[in-house]
Amino acid sequence: MEKIIELKNINFSYAKSAKTIDNVSLNIGQGVFGLLGPNGAGKTTLMKILLGFLTPGSGTGMVLGYDITTNRKMVRERIGYMPESDCLMPGMDAVALTAYLGQLSGMPKQEAMKRAHEVLFYVGLEESRYRKVEEYSTGMKQRLKLAQALVHDPKLLFLDEPTSGMDPNGRKEMLELIRDIASKESMNIIISSHLLPDIEYTCRHVIIMNKGQIIHEQDVGIVGLDQFNRFEIKFQGDTQAFIDRLKSMNWTVDIDERGLCTVLLPKDQSPRHLFHYALESNAQIRHFRQSKTTLEDTFVSAIGALNDN
Amino acid sequence: MTIREKGYYNWEGQLSRSPFPWLPIFFNGIKMVFKQKYSKMLFGLALSPFFIFLGAIYVSTRPELRMFTRMVKMLQDEALFFKEFATNGFTFFMLIILILSFGAELISGDIRFKSFPLYFSRPLDRKDYLFGKFSIIMFYFLLFTLVPGILLYIFKFIFTGKLSIQPFTILGIIFVPLLCTFYIAAITLLLSSFSSNSKYVKIMMFLIYFISDAIANILFQIFKTDYFHILSMKSLIQQVGSFLFNTNPQYDYPAWLSLAVIALTSLGACTLLYKRIGKLEAQIESGN
Repeated sequence: MEKIIELKNINFSYAKSAKTIDNVSLNIGQGVFGLLGPNGAGKTTLMKILLGFLTPGSGTGMVLGYDITTNRKMVRERIGYMPESDCLMPGMDAVALTAYLGQLSGMPKQEAMKRAHEVLFYVGLEESRYRKVEEYSTGMKQRLKLAQALVHDPKLLFLDEPTSGMDPNGRKEMLELIRDIASKESMNIIISSHLLPDIEYTCRHVIIMNKGQIIHEQDVGIVGLDQFNRFEIKFQGDTQAFIDRLKSMNWTVDIDERGLCTVLLPKDQSPRHLFHYALESNAQIRHFRQSKTTLEDTFVSAIGALNDN
Repeated sequence: MTIREKGYYNWEGQLSRSPFPWLPIFFNGIKMVFKQKYSKMLFGLALSPFFIFLGAIYVSTRPELRMFTRMVKMLQDEALFFKEFATNGFTFFMLIILILSFGAELISGDIRFKSFPLYFSRPLDRKDYLFGKFSIIMFYFLLFTLVPGILLYIFKFIFTGKLSIQPFTILGIIFVPLLCTFYIAAITLLLSSFSSNSKYVKIMMFLIYFISDAIANILFQIFKTDYFHILSMKSLIQQVGSFLFNTNPQYDYPAWLSLAVIALTSLGACTLLYKRIGKLEAQIESGN
């Protein structure tokens, strides 16, 4: 798989402070990646380094095959960035702003204007695209920031807290947009967030950061875990036959070292099937629990393990 | 089927790499300044010296109006005439008013509205950003200094019907506005990069442009030495005008010194500005 981001032993610290990024090595391939971590974990600093806003103290890094310290313009030409903060240019309407930023990315003027209308329609700002951006609500600003990041159709999209400050409906729509973009597979996406449900809903892979280090990397598995129910099962009897039976249904089955079996069951399937197949395979279910989220457990245990050390 | 229902689709065009990636900043800046309230009125006022000097040129070329030429010294000397046009107090005053109305916002506004991530996530570096901002000030300033100067020279040929070129005058007409514009633009942008509040920036500019002149005059009155005029921006520009137009210096200190002060101040301001933008680029967002 083509490497989108390749970092080797990246270190960074702000003047006189402790290391903000501590010996980070990372390989990111194609797809949608979530960057998770508590506040102060170093997510935004890592994004700034990838975007070339900050120069690492040591280490090397490549984004889309270009060096992040010596080839910043080439990197920036190919990426889209949706910042966390409320950034805008006053006195401009959304169309003018988006087209202007498209031109700065290297788009011809007419094309930038045409594409600005398209992306503003796409993010749902068609009605208010001629309003001055300073009159926008927080949710509208978030959509506008996504539109400006998409206008030049980048190869890699950085989204920093994309649902920040949005109401539940707006948040859901934003996540749907991200999933739609991801589904086209022509764009790779990195989402930085501290909201686990957002990451779980949109990402295939997750990278957990804390105290400037990458502490965990994991495949979330299938985009849209909301389409599945996750069950934890412990059983006795013919273990292998039961597992084989579940796998024959094309369900995702995982067993950890403690013998705890995790099954992802499509939402349209009843959990009764599990008991039925256990009976068929001469296995006895001794523990059965619906688990809320995989990522939350992973996140808590990863952060907890680092704190214990 | 609406675009949203169709879902995201790719742009099929090609991005081009311009040798002047700052040009969109320039064109956008020109448009935004022009759209500002009172901008047309200020432009009109800034151009008024041109029409007065145009009338003066006409008068100086008419034999029947020779009595006026004898009364006004600058009408008798071409270099002095164009030097007066390039460094006249009213044009300088209008340039400062223009700077206060739009120059203060150029970087300060980007800091206040956190626009830096939008610029620097594009294929732009600090140099391109600064070129873009400089070009906006340079455009408007040169529009009211260099362009009218050249037009006056052309009108002089038309009125006299003779083509006689004085190299120092040509040099002055081109380089005095360029130098002064660059000098004012560098200081303006540096001040604009210091605060997100454009009101403070305007006050700082006002203090530098007007109070520097008052201080220089007070010190001159006390110590009776023209060297204190180095402190005044207006006097520096007048002195450098004398140097480049090869006319008698306005003040009693070496004219090249004013050129050196302007050049060093501009370069120092540009260096500081470059570093300042680097810091602002790195501080694009606070927190992790």
